[in-house]
Amino acid sequence: MNEAGDGAKVSVFVAVAPADAFEVFTQETDLWWRKGPKFRIGGKRPGVLAFEGGVGGRLFETYEIASGSKTFEVGRVTDWDPPTRLAFEWRGVNFRAGETTFVEVEFVAKAHGTMVTVRHRGWAALRPDHPARHGNVGADFDRMIGMWWGDLLTSLREHVATRDGS
Amino acid sequence: MSADLDRTLGALADPTRRRVVDLLRKKPRRAGELAEALDTSPPAMSRHLRVLRKSGLVTEEHDGEDARVRMYRLQPEPFRALRRWIEEVEAFWTAELDAFKQYAERTRGGRRRT
Repeated sequence: MNEAGDGAKVSVFVAVAPADAFEVFTQETDLWWRKGPKFRIGGKRPGVLAFEGGVGGRLFETYEIASGSKTFEVGRVTDWDPPTRLAFEWRGVNFRAGETTFVEVEFVAKAHGTMVTVRHRGWAALRPDHPARHGNVGADFDRMIGMWWGDLLTSLREHVATRDGS
Repeated sequence: MSADLDRTLGALADPTRRRVVDLLRKKPRRAGELAEALDTSPPAMSRHLRVLRKSGLVTEEHDGEDARVRMYRLQPEPFRALRRWIEEVEAFWTAELDAFKQYAERTRGGRRRT
């Protein structure tokens, strides 16, 4: 379980400099990203998973099917600040229009390498006419979602702990 | 993402409803009590409680002493579904970051900065 209050969170220490870590993460994605149905939409079929650099760039997967190839856009890059930070949207293949989640990757320099932290915040069912959207657009809106998700997780952990313990 | 989880998140998209959840964490409460605590009109609170009920986040029950009074109580199951989702996402990224580390150290490990 991740630490309290911030969505799913996973860290790893990697013995390379932040600039290298950022480069590997964003430009050699296909070379390290795991293969197979748990990790790729194309499953075991040949394909490529890649980022397009810069804000607005796509994270997409292309894979071969009988009639040619297919491309699935996982999401767009929302923050691109090498070598310290990267953020992008994340949509699963079964998400409906307007549903998305958010992934943020931080690269923090350490004495002999870099601490890489991925935070994945959940979201769904947020359509443009949704009441939560009033008065909140774009980046402010995303920040708001991040905050409430954090509050919610803190709340649910305490709640589940109370109920499970009683 | 499952339809249930979708409903849970949709219900919690509203700040007033999140505050209701917060208040109900401590103990079951009456609708009037919630409206007053959150400075919301009774009809508006009633609409919020309906959304929370439909999502399964809260249940409505009659007060033992006065059948006209309805008590609202938080239900743990939707929260467990959220927790399971988080655990799945964490397992996914743990596997990916492990693969990332192995690849990065193999290809860049020799020229790291000090």
